[in-house]
Amino acid sequence: MSAEQNVYISGRIKQESHLKKFIRENTSVISIFGVLFVVSIFFSSVTNSFLTVNNFTNLIIQIAPNIIVAVAMTFVITTGGIDLSVGSTLALASALAATLLSAGVNGLLTLAIVLLAGVSIGTINGYIIAYHNIPPLITTLAAMMYIRGIALLVTGGYSVAISGQTWLVQLGRGRLLGVPIAVMVAVIIAGMGLVALKYTSFGNYVTGIGANEEAVRRTGVPTRKVKIWTYILTGSAAALGGLIIAARLGSGSSNIGNTFELDIIAAVVLGGTALFGGAGTIIGTIIGVALIGIIQNGLMLMHVSPFIIQIIEGFVLLLAVFINVKFFSNKK
Amino acid sequence: MNNEFQLEMKNIRKSYGNIKSLRGVDLQIKPGEVLGLVGDNGAGKSTLMKVLSGVVIPDEGEFYYEGKKVKVDSPRTAKNLHIETVFQDLSLCDTLSVANNMFLGREPTKFVGGIIDQKVLHAKSREQLNRLGIDISSTRLAVENMSGGQRQAVAIARAMLFQPKVLILDEPTAALGVKEVDMVLKLIKNVKEKGVSVVLITHRLQDLFEVCDRIMVLNEGKCIDDRPMDQYTLETLIKSIMGSPERTNAS
Ligand SMILES: Nc1ncnc2c1ncn2[C@@H]1O[C@H](COP(=O)(O)OP(=O)(O)O)[C@@H](O)[C@H]1O
Ligand SMILES: [Mg+2]
Repeated sequence: MSAEQNVYISGRIKQESHLKKFIRENTSVISIFGVLFVVSIFFSSVTNSFLTVNNFTNLIIQIAPNIIVAVAMTFVITTGGIDLSVGSTLALASALAATLLSAGVNGLLTLAIVLLAGVSIGTINGYIIAYHNIPPLITTLAAMMYIRGIALLVTGGYSVAISGQTWLVQLGRGRLLGVPIAVMVAVIIAGMGLVALKYTSFGNYVTGIGANEEAVRRTGVPTRKVKIWTYILTGSAAALGGLIIAARLGSGSSNIGNTFELDIIAAVVLGGTALFGGAGTIIGTIIGVALIGIIQNGLMLMHVSPFIIQIIEGFVLLLAVFINVKFFSNKK
Repeated sequence: MNNEFQLEMKNIRKSYGNIKSLRGVDLQIKPGEVLGLVGDNGAGKSTLMKVLSGVVIPDEGEFYYEGKKVKVDSPRTAKNLHIETVFQDLSLCDTLSVANNMFLGREPTKFVGGIIDQKVLHAKSREQLNRLGIDISSTRLAVENMSGGQRQAVAIARAMLFQPKVLILDEPTAALGVKEVDMVLKLIKNVKEKGVSVVLITHRLQDLFEVCDRIMVLNEGKCIDDRPMDQYTLETLIKSIMGSPERTNAS
């Protein structure tokens, strides 16, 4: 009886679903873009240094590693997972890169080793999560601790200066046609992420797993492999991010990237990717990263105390999750 | 083994902890045969169909396909044998579009890196919906806000996409209106003509009498009755479903 009613009113349901789809795919992005705009206007009016080419360049160089990791994190969160270990991986990568380069290892080999470390971390996380059904929160929380420990072990807790000349530092400092290379890398990765999530089978599986994992499995898709791949993405993205930061700073340290994972997760959920999976947006993620970067940058220019910045950031994360769960979540 | 069967399952057993869902079930089906599978709730019908579609791995049992012994140990192997299933819970991804649901796991791709050929994807989905007379305005809609009937129609359309040789329908008409039920029954008769074997699970007994060649009755994980359609009356079928089948020659 109710089934017939459903069919009868299906015309209206179709229209609502058009609208809902539009809201889900665009309004979250549009509204966060609006927030970005308002925040930018605010900082432009209260500081003289915010709206300058110099600051803008600084800002985009600053957020380039965040964009790289956040794009990867979008895939993980879209499957319904989470990766808390990216901050520690970032630190390990920077420590490893600086240590290797200082020991005279060449750039290419250093790059390979650091990326391999990221891939390995992702593989281990993904394997435990996908094949042993251990919750991603716990798995990557544990990884966050032991990877930070390994990073500390590598450096002995000190910061390691990158001595000697290597082309690898161009990753953090170099420019090509006036554009910082780190920014170029971030843009390329964001572009690939956008295409992969929206227009490929892999992206479909990632979204489908977040919506109904068992349904995807029943179509014959190797869902566990897909999940492992998403953690390999975050692991290697964090390694690349750490490398870029080490190259930019000219040193590696096991102490960087504390609460980096929270910035990234906040950016992703602010952007409109569903916290519990099933829907993800790369464009939203990029705007989310920019928003958080601008808030940090603007508050710093206003000479707000770093302690207060941290408090504000905490509330931004809370707000992001709140809005996400209340308005953009697919879970009913 | 016996070449006249499209597929044959022998002595299928499956337990979940203490619950013995399937306690040694045999099932055979010929090409072009429509088998009705009935039984009380919890009798094990869905579990048996999940075994058949590679979704659940049985603890014990043998599987023969077109006379050859095979191992169906994943959904992929079942699909490769052209066994297609409409699951009782439909198994759709709410946030994916109609077309993406229909082609999930078998997307038409172009270039490298598995980029989906959107044009082909939507054209083929539309063609399939039209062929089955399913009324959905756009294949780009997410299935999450669709009616139960539309969702069921999408699941059926998906199962029909890749020329099944064995089509499993687990309560496919539960959310459908009168018109759509007719559509499904017509579809069953249609594919039967083409030699497709169909397993139909339903509580609508009149539908069974309309399309089935044979009915198998499950009770607490065991087959308690298995007869050609013409040896059942509505009354004897109901008795069987209730757990006390009559002897065949009594009717
Ligand atoms: N994944 C599972 N875990 C535990 N028990 C299950 C599971 N699937 C099915 N069962 C049990 O197996 C029995 C048969 O279920 P099912 O095959 O769904 O019956 P039917 O489809 O005939 O209603 C029921 O007792 C059910 O509770
Ligand atoms: Mg059932």
